[in-house]
Amino acid sequence: MSTTQVFDESRVASLAEQRPQAPWGTRTASFRTIVILAVFIPAAIVTGLWWYTDIAKPVLMVAGYLPLQLAAAIVAAVALRGKKSAFDAVIIVLAIGATVFSLVVLVSVLWSIVTKGLEAMSTAFLFQNNEYISPSTPLGYGGVGHAVVGTVVIVGISALIAVPLGVMTAIYITEVRGRAVPYVRFFVQAMSGVPSVVAGLFILTVLILSGALNQSAFAAGLAYAILMLPTVARTAEEVLRLVPEELRTGALALGSTRAKTVLRVVVPAAKTGIITAAILGVARVVGETAPLLLTALKNDKTVLNPFAEPISALPTYIFDNVAQPYPDAVIRAWGAALTLMIIVAILFTLTRLFSSRGPSK
Amino acid sequence: MATAEYDDVRIDDVQELEREIASQRDANVPIEMETRDISVWFAKRKVLEGVSIAFPKQSVTALIGPSGCGKSTFIRTLNRLHELIPGAALAGEVLYEGSDIYAPEVDPVHIRLKIGMVFQKPNPFPSMTIRGNVLSGLKLSGMKRSNHDDIVEQTLTSAGLWNEVKDRLNAAAGDLSGGQQQRLVIARALAVNPHVLLMDEPCSALDPGSTLKIEETIRELSKEITIIIVTHNMQQAVRVADNTAFFLATDGNPGHVVEQGPTTEIFGNPRDQRTLDYVNGRFG
Ligand SMILES: Nc1ncnc2c1ncn2[C@@H]1O[C@H](COP(=O)(O)OP(=O)(O)OP(=O)(O)O)[C@@H](O)[C@H]1O
Ligand SMILES: [Mg+2]
Repeated sequence: MSTTQVFDESRVASLAEQRPQAPWGTRTASFRTIVILAVFIPAAIVTGLWWYTDIAKPVLMVAGYLPLQLAAAIVAAVALRGKKSAFDAVIIVLAIGATVFSLVVLVSVLWSIVTKGLEAMSTAFLFQNNEYISPSTPLGYGGVGHAVVGTVVIVGISALIAVPLGVMTAIYITEVRGRAVPYVRFFVQAMSGVPSVVAGLFILTVLILSGALNQSAFAAGLAYAILMLPTVARTAEEVLRLVPEELRTGALALGSTRAKTVLRVVVPAAKTGIITAAILGVARVVGETAPLLLTALKNDKTVLNPFAEPISALPTYIFDNVAQPYPDAVIRAWGAALTLMIIVAILFTLTRLFSSRGPSK
Repeated sequence: MATAEYDDVRIDDVQELEREIASQRDANVPIEMETRDISVWFAKRKVLEGVSIAFPKQSVTALIGPSGCGKSTFIRTLNRLHELIPGAALAGEVLYEGSDIYAPEVDPVHIRLKIGMVFQKPNPFPSMTIRGNVLSGLKLSGMKRSNHDDIVEQTLTSAGLWNEVKDRLNAAAGDLSGGQQQRLVIARALAVNPHVLLMDEPCSALDPGSTLKIEETIRELSKEITIIIVTHNMQQAVRVADNTAFFLATDGNPGHVVEQGPTTEIFGNPRDQRTLDYVNGRFG
């Protein structure tokens, strides 16, 4: 630029005709051909073998399709972009392969729960309880209403206990930064390895057999809380750690006390993450069966008093029905599994909606 | 040539006048803050040594010096933020209104309320709105001031941000550009009415227009409060500061103040060769 140039205003009209494009996405015909061949040749060969030979299907996929597709991708990559991109091709094929594999597994689990669960589904199933129902009662009578209430009450009790405790523990670790931090962290880590049956056993021996509590929603909630606490504490610790140090010093520099810094600046900045910690805590326990067998037993009635008597929840309902020799009972178990999944999905959606509300609220 | 000589003469005259004004000021104006032989360590490493500076009431003092010489470290000892860093240590005294802010009975929260700070990196609170950020100091410190709307408008105007945000005071602070965020935190620091304002390179992320606006604000504020500002911009020091202290750390030795005095002296007539070289952009 040896001379100064001034924008020529008369060009505005012609520039207005420009259309947005994505030049980086344009592919030549030969490029497309090679990519299509690299995708279709291995697929065609494997489809042929699939129909016209007796090779076991899993063996065919792992020992046939995967190496073929890898080879095709490498050849295509080398042809198009040179030797250096061979490794790219390998990584891409393996990444896509692993993702598809996991998706297939997850979707087939989901699929079987949804299809089998839907057979049991009806308003009666969702809202009625199990009173006057025997395992051989046909579908259409009785349901999981009492177990849904049980799960909500038990998980609610455990969340009320474990979420505040877990968040406070995380605050101790990241904000108070006391001397005991390494020990607390170690202890929390160790606690997350406690098997769920041990949590149930602990409540059973210490609180139930000693006569302090009945087998009830509250006892089960305590057992769940033991399992939930480490998950909440560790996740909350991670998210609090992500809050930039400058926000803390910024608040302190405004004459804030430590407590207000934590409550008004640090925790709100990590709000979404803390809600996620609570969700993960709930997800950790909601399907646990063993502690319930020891601390809540079962009950065919709908129980609302969390201290009075045994109570059924969805996991125990599934456990009971799946072991019955009657096909309808097994279908009920699938229906309960679907219900459990729907409850978790609703919970996740609600918290997401709640936590995505910005600071303008 | 003739004009150059003429200019030189004029500059000398002006400087003479300013020196006189400065010395008069020094004689009359009480000291608001003062450090005595401050030395600072991070773990075992000594990064500052024997820094003694007096900050007269309602004056602006610029701290200049090459990167890493300890300016930020020093300024953070003045409102007791330094002690928050694990392994931090300190020797010497920091006097505010005549008494040591590190005395055992002193509450750091109280000190930080009187001695506000603007940081090198903008740090608005992301969970709060623009308006919420400006008023956050009042909430966090439990300070009661009525007329929040006036405070918001007045401090944002001082910080040169009002016109850009007056229609979206309830938007999230994180949506502002970096330079806007910096002006927001300046407004936030002003809203609690500090007696001393520490500013660590407040304009390093700002455009020339906003920078000038902030400099005007600094001059305006210095009629009422004491300002201590770290800057890498020599013109800025000349424009805003009554006094200047030049920090230097050589070859891994702790930083110290090489020369300090009225800004006109430091820039027009430095005693130390290194100061002369630095203010003329010959190193650092
Ligand atoms: N938190 C810390 N822990 C250990 N050392 C530190 C810490 N903060 C600063 N230092 C060291 O102290 C010295 C002074 O740093 P400081 O940030 O005060 O420099 P500065 O003059 O503000 O530099 P700049 O102009 O780049 O901001 C540097 O050598 C730095 O490495
Ligand atoms: Mg600095």
